[in-house]
Amino acid sequence: MMQTVRIKRFNILDRIFHVFLILTFLTQTATGFSRLFLPTAWGKSLNAVFGGYDTSILIHKWVGILMICGFIFHTLYLLTRIDYNHLWVSLFGPDSLIPTVQDAKHLWQRILWFFGIGPQPGIGRWAYWEKFDYWAVYWGLPLLAITGVMLMYPVIASRYVPGWTLNIAVLLHRAEAILAVSYIFIVHFFVGHLRPSSFPMNEAMFAGSVPVEELEEEKPVWFAQLKAEGKLETEKANPPSLLYKIVYFIFGYAALGFGVYLLVNGVINSQYITLH
Amino acid sequence: MRNMIGINRMPIWIISLALFAFFLLPARSYGQGEEVTSYINRYKQNEVSTGYYEEYEMRPGNESPLVKTFHRVDRKPFAYSSTAASIRNRSLLADSHRGIKFYDNRRCEECHINETQDIHTTRANLTCRQCHGPEPIAGIDHYYSPMNPIRRHAYVCAKCHQGAGASFAGYVIHEPPAGSSAARADFPALYYSYWFMMALLAGTLAFFIPHTILTGVREMFKRKKG
Repeated sequence: MMQTVRIKRFNILDRIFHVFLILTFLTQTATGFSRLFLPTAWGKSLNAVFGGYDTSILIHKWVGILMICGFIFHTLYLLTRIDYNHLWVSLFGPDSLIPTVQDAKHLWQRILWFFGIGPQPGIGRWAYWEKFDYWAVYWGLPLLAITGVMLMYPVIASRYVPGWTLNIAVLLHRAEAILAVSYIFIVHFFVGHLRPSSFPMNEAMFAGSVPVEELEEEKPVWFAQLKAEGKLETEKANPPSLLYKIVYFIFGYAALGFGVYLLVNGVINSQYITLH
Repeated sequence: MRNMIGINRMPIWIISLALFAFFLLPARSYGQGEEVTSYINRYKQNEVSTGYYEEYEMRPGNESPLVKTFHRVDRKPFAYSSTAASIRNRSLLADSHRGIKFYDNRRCEECHINETQDIHTTRANLTCRQCHGPEPIAGIDHYYSPMNPIRRHAYVCAKCHQGAGASFAGYVIHEPPAGSSAARADFPALYYSYWFMMALLAGTLAFFIPHTILTGVREMFKRKKG
C-alpha cells in the first residue's frame, strides 16, 4: 500500500496554543458555569467539584490570568508572522486570516452549493468559517479579560470608570461567555467531529498535517497554490505515530464529552438563571 | 587609631548613598504614600462625597446621564393609610415607612420582592438590614441617611468593600431586569448592552447552526471521486 502523503498545516506552536485554549476554556466554562448555575442542583454539585463558591472563583481568576498571558503571547507571536516587507500581501493575501471580499463570495457560493445550485467555492488556506472561528475567540478573549479584571478588582476599577459600569461588566462577561460556549460546543464541535468529512475527528489541529487528498478536496485553491510554489514536496510531513494518535483521540473525545455535558446541562438549567 | 573616612571624601559618600537611595530603595509611594488616582477623579469623588461643588452645596446625584434615578416611588391606586396618602416621595423621609399600617408585622419582601433578586441577596446572603440598617429605615435621599449617596460608600459599601469610593457606590445594587422596559427607562446602558449581546448571540447561532447542519447534510450527498 502506498503511504499517504501529508502536508503541514499547523506548526507546533499553533497546536500548543490550541491545546492550551482547550484546557483553559473548559476550566473557565466549568468554574464559571458552577457559579452561574448556583441556584440549581446541578450548579451546586458542579460547584462542589471545584471546592465550593470561593475556591471555584479562585480557580476561575488564576486560569483567567493564564489566558490573558496566553493571549498576549499569541498576539506577540502574531506580530512576528507578519511579513513587514510585503505588508499588503501579508495582511490580505491568500495566507492571511483577515477576512476579505473573497470570503463573502465564498459564503454565497457555498449557500448555493448547499442546495445543489452551484459548485463548491474554491476555498483557500483558511475558509471563511475558520476565519470566523479564529476572530470570534480573538475579540471575545479581550472582552472577557477586561470585564473579568474589572470584576476581580471592583474597587480599583471604580476609580477609573463609574461604578455602574460594573453592572454592565457582569452582564457582558456572562453574555459573552455564553455566546462563546454555545458557539464552541455546538458549531465548532460539529465542524470538527460530526460532519461527514471530519467524522470521527478532524485530526489536522493535533497531527499538524493533512493528507494531500483531503487537501485537494477541501482546499483546492490552497492545493493549487502549494503546487504552483512547488511546496508540495518541501511541506511534506510525517504521519503521526500510533501512540500520539491514541493520546489525541482520547484527549479530543474527553474534551468533546465534557463540553457537551456542560452544554446540555446548561441548556436544561438555563431557565433558572439570569444574565445579570 | 581607627582609619576614619576623611572629611574630603564625605561628599562622595553622601552623594553615592543618596543615589543608592534614590535609584534602588522603593519609592515613597510604595510604603508611605496613599494610593491615589488622578486629580480630576479625586476632585470628582470629593464633590460627590461631600455634596459640595466649589462652595455651593449640591444635591447628590448619579454620575452619568446613562443611569437615572432608581428610587422611584410606586404609588398604588389605594394608599396604605390616610397618612400615607399624603406622602409624595418616600425616599426623602427620615422614616421611609411612615404611615404604613401593620408595618411592625410585615416583612421587607412582602412589598420589596424585586429587591431580593440581586447578587448581594441571593449570592452573598445579605439581609436587608445589613445595608439599610435598623428601624426607622431612612429614605435613601434623606439628608442624614447613611444610604444617602454623599456618604453611602463610606457608611454602607466600605463595611465589606474596603476602600470603596463614591464611584464604587454608583454600582446599581437593585438593578432592573436587564431586558425590561424598566431598564430602558432607568438604566439604558444596561438595557442596550443586553439587547446587543442577545442579538449577537441569536444572530451568530441562527446563522451558524443552519450553516453547519447544511454542511453536514450536503457532504453526505457528495459524489465520490474516481
